[in-house]
Amino acid sequence: MKKIKDTLRIIGMSFEIELRQNLTDGFVLFGIVIQPLIVAFMALWMLKDKGPDYAIFIVVGSAMTGLWTTLLFNGGNSIRGERWAGTLEPLVGAPSSLRIVVFGKVLANVTQSLLSMIGCYTFISLIMGYPLTLSRPIFFLISILLTVFAFVSFGVIIASLFILIPDFQRLQNTLEFPVYILCGFLFPIALLPGWTTPISYILSPYWAARALHGSARGMLEINHIFISWVLLIIFSAIYIVGSGALYRLVLKRARVDATLNTTG
Amino acid sequence: MKKRFITNVKIFFEGAILSYRALFRWLRPATYIASKILAPLTMMIFFVFIGAYASGNNDASFYVIGNALIFAASSGIFGVTMSIGGERWSGTLPYLFGSPANRMAIFVGRAFMHILDGMLGVFIGLGWGILLFGLDLSQTHLTPLLITILITTFSTAGLGLLMGCVGLITRNVMLVNNTVYFMMLLFSGANISLESLPKWMQVISNYIPLTRGITSTRLIVAGAGINEILPLLLEEFLIGIMFALVGFFLFSTFEKQAKKLGTLEIF
Repeated sequence: MKKIKDTLRIIGMSFEIELRQNLTDGFVLFGIVIQPLIVAFMALWMLKDKGPDYAIFIVVGSAMTGLWTTLLFNGGNSIRGERWAGTLEPLVGAPSSLRIVVFGKVLANVTQSLLSMIGCYTFISLIMGYPLTLSRPIFFLISILLTVFAFVSFGVIIASLFILIPDFQRLQNTLEFPVYILCGFLFPIALLPGWTTPISYILSPYWAARALHGSARGMLEINHIFISWVLLIIFSAIYIVGSGALYRLVLKRARVDATLNTTG
Repeated sequence: MKKRFITNVKIFFEGAILSYRALFRWLRPATYIASKILAPLTMMIFFVFIGAYASGNNDASFYVIGNALIFAASSGIFGVTMSIGGERWSGTLPYLFGSPANRMAIFVGRAFMHILDGMLGVFIGLGWGILLFGLDLSQTHLTPLLITILITTFSTAGLGLLMGCVGLITRNVMLVNNTVYFMMLLFSGANISLESLPKWMQVISNYIPLTRGITSTRLIVAGAGINEILPLLLEEFLIGIMFALVGFFLFSTFEKQAKKLGTLEIF
């Protein structure tokens, strides 16, 4: 019981510190507000012949671009930022689990990036005047909660990869749009060549987009939404279990190889 | 007079090459290739597929051309801005402002390599368009296309020079750069036809670089000759000059202010 309480306290503290730090970072503002709004406007204009019910599809899709961009750039840099600030060694040396600390930081990034959904909704509904209705609000809410969990789990893995594989960080800019494409944020993946479909299926953001689009527009049968939820949970569990091994490697680099602070 | 001219030309080219090397030398070739070839490709694919989904047809040329030309803005805005704004971050601004070197040669020189780099980016973009989306250049006159790409890259570099000056007085240069870059995506007609935009947006489109470059390229690919696009290219060129001059004016003003107030490295 005490362990759970301690873990939640660590998550809460790292969540708070990350949010406070992000308040001073202008690029966060770009990722969660400016870019999703511009993408939303462009998508709205490009897809306007599809009919007004597409507006909710665009709100969800554009907001998901904000979620992913923030996760990739801010969540991905969770450990790297500590390295640059010179605080990684004390963090690794502390008795609290590094993975739990990173979980709290990524949770802060993902939670704040939900603002992009509110921003896109407000923009398209109030400013552009499109009627926006959620077909299945309860399902949508559950989908959002599972999406946050899935994105955080994914982010914890990504943060460790940025440390373990230096080339991963170098490809950061290159990883932004492929997820927009492969996960069907703003167009169905059926338009893509068939060989890309299995790649989409192993990415949890795809199932998140499917659940959110499906519950927002009501275009997906309830059992299909359930399938998306189950897969989101399964992938999140896999990511969390996998991240345990990856963080043991990070700690090995810190304590045994002493290469933690060596930039690749 | 002649000696001064030669010195200024030397400063121009040395500054151009050194600032470019300083910006990219720390990168590994793989990183440069990834950001130069792969990242723009993924952005192009994204917008081409939204376009295909929107229009329901497979004619991707509108989006391919628009997004290929956007690569010019990528070098013009990010590269040039970082070349100028980076002087402050790397602590070399006092030396630059303390030197007797011709300011125009220093300032404009920072854009030179990025114009060449941006042109390469556009060629790569068009190459991807041909390979992946079947962009048809059979009607295209190559010389007008080259001139259009050169002028468009120049005009976006003009905007980059202005943004570089903004980078000298702001802490959040990446926020400013990215915002301007995405605004260009929106206003230049790269992904949305200009006629379908609201009137107030068309007015803004009319005064920014890239808009006419993209329109000209689409016309050239459809078979237009140099005479048909010449007025557009002249306007594109003048817009680039205008932005560069405003940038230079700001650069000179910041230098005077910074020296007078002692705020050269205050963030």
